[in-house]
Amino acid sequence: MADVEMETQMGLDSEEDYGELSDAELQEAFSKGLLKPGLNVPLEEPKKAVNNIEGLKMCLAEFKKNLPWVERLDLTNHPAVDVLAKIEGTLNKKQSSGEIDAEDDFQREMYFYRQAQATVLEALPKLKKLQIPTKRPDDYFAEMAKTDQHMQKVRKKLMQKQMAIEKSEKAKKLREQRKFGKKVQVEVLQKRQKAKKAMMTAVKKYQKGMTDKLDFLEGDQEGKKGSTASKSQMSKKGPNAKRKYKDQKFGFGGKKKGSKWNTKESFNDVSGFRAKTAHGKGGKKFNKGGKKNKRPGKETRRKMKARK
Amino acid sequence: LGKSQCRAAVTRVEIDVFFNFHVLFVFQGKWKNKERVLVFSSRGINFRTRHLMQDLKTMMPHSKADTKMDRKDKLFVVNEVCEIKNCNKCIFFEAKKNMDLYMWVSNVPHGPSAKFLVQNVHTLAELKMTGNCLKGSRPLLSFDPKFDKEPHYALLKELFTQTFSTPQYHPKSQPFVDHVLTFTIADKRIWFRNYQIIEEDASLVEIGPRFVLNLIKIFQGSFGGPTLYENPHFQSPNMCRRLMRMEKAARQKERQMVKEIRLEKRKEVKEVLTEDVTDDVFVTPAEEKPKEVEHEAPRPSKSKKKKKLKLTELKKRTLLKRKGLR
Repeated sequence: MADVEMETQMGLDSEEDYGELSDAELQEAFSKGLLKPGLNVPLEEPKKAVNNIEGLKMCLAEFKKNLPWVERLDLTNHPAVDVLAKIEGTLNKKQSSGEIDAEDDFQREMYFYRQAQATVLEALPKLKKLQIPTKRPDDYFAEMAKTDQHMQKVRKKLMQKQMAIEKSEKAKKLREQRKFGKKVQVEVLQKRQKAKKAMMTAVKKYQKGMTDKLDFLEGDQEGKKGSTASKSQMSKKGPNAKRKYKDQKFGFGGKKKGSKWNTKESFNDVSGFRAKTAHGKGGKKFNKGGKKNKRPGKETRRKMKARK
Repeated sequence: LGKSQCRAAVTRVEIDVFFNFHVLFVFQGKWKNKERVLVFSSRGINFRTRHLMQDLKTMMPHSKADTKMDRKDKLFVVNEVCEIKNCNKCIFFEAKKNMDLYMWVSNVPHGPSAKFLVQNVHTLAELKMTGNCLKGSRPLLSFDPKFDKEPHYALLKELFTQTFSTPQYHPKSQPFVDHVLTFTIADKRIWFRNYQIIEEDASLVEIGPRFVLNLIKIFQGSFGGPTLYENPHFQSPNMCRRLMRMEKAARQKERQMVKEIRLEKRKEVKEVLTEDVTDDVFVTPAEEKPKEVEHEAPRPSKSKKKKKLKLTELKKRTLLKRKGLR
């Protein structure tokens, strides 16, 4: 026992008193078997964090004020059950045991939120029993922690965010619509071309005498009836007459040389003839846009007066 | 009635209502629980800390403010300041190096005190926190069950409860309970949040402020005394920064070492491999051809390419013609 005590004492003092131990004492210790041969380096004891549990408990007992719950309004509780996660089936086992991943921001904040919720749900009935009001009546005006000005700024920011989201959604929808519209247009044009091709081949076949039937004509009629409705819709959305004219005049690099030739085709082409303008009857465009306040003639005025 | 008269009338009504309610609820009881908290700081705090202090003062109607304390004075001077102001709790903010913020929470005359490192401070003024509450209304306090499991957390819980809860019937307090403060333990730190209670079904909105406390030590006395608890997981911010710098330095050193090794390898005398006699067994040299020296330049190869070019040129010209006509 004495040896053990000596040993512990030696161990503890080895750091501080190492330099002070004389050679004779070291030799003694070696002979006793306390020091091993070789280079003895003083080891630093690993730093132990102070955890004075007894002291803590005593301090708490002294410090505690036994106030009624009304004064303190404190509650200790687990967070409320996450209803959404349960439904989705993503309920984390870790969370239910109380370990939160501090890195996952959303999860962590939701944990805090649910803890607060559980407290509120527990506390409100208690407060009601004690007749402490929790709801502020509408006509109760008092100073708030944040000024009205500040709350207006907050509201503005929220509105801005909402507007931005809405705008981006609208833009996305428009883009989708345009893409879709373009698709539909291309499809219709292709269909028309196919139909035309089929018609031409059928006509050629008949001309060459390969088929006696004139079925292709009837087929065309049926096709027409079916597609008039959609055709009229497409033509409504097609380019304007004005747009067409401008495209023709200015599109694809402007007027080409030799667009006016006196050939048989151009002579026979009567599309540029407007009968009314030719006979001088294009009245609408050259009027003032209808006489404003057309004053009746003298006779008419006299008659009107007489009638009155 | 003119505008100013209207406004005056409205304010008078407000004051009347306010007063009546106040009389009804607050002065119904006597203010017995005399808690007063002194909130102040040392010199060298930045704007965020200052706003945080202001926010705490608005949250706690039982708080008092004081001027900044000089860093030269020792910490136990704080006890005297508190005595002068007749406060029995204290929240003291200490800023160091313009980067680190420490917070002391203490029960002033004899009681325990704790030192924390404050991180992730967000103040009331942030526009992302949309809630609002009455100034000086009494809060509900919500604690994590982990606070009951260990003695040091239990002590902290008691300290927080006494410091942050507004006494009932305090003259500056509002009679309604419309917000809740939460203290949660995550990642070995204490997270603080403040929520507004909107509906009775416990729908909440965050008001702010919010911060994270990293416990350093708990002392038995106020701003001094024997250490009751030391947080083993705490690493001072200086150590953190030092470790980061050392990591970077280590990486740089490694890179340099690799470079040096590579250079040395190149300079090394290369080993001469022993030649194997049987290597040349299957080598058969080709027949030697007479060397022809060309004195004239060779003739250019005949124009398959030219013909091709001609064709393409013609094509191009016809195409252009056709396009031009159009």
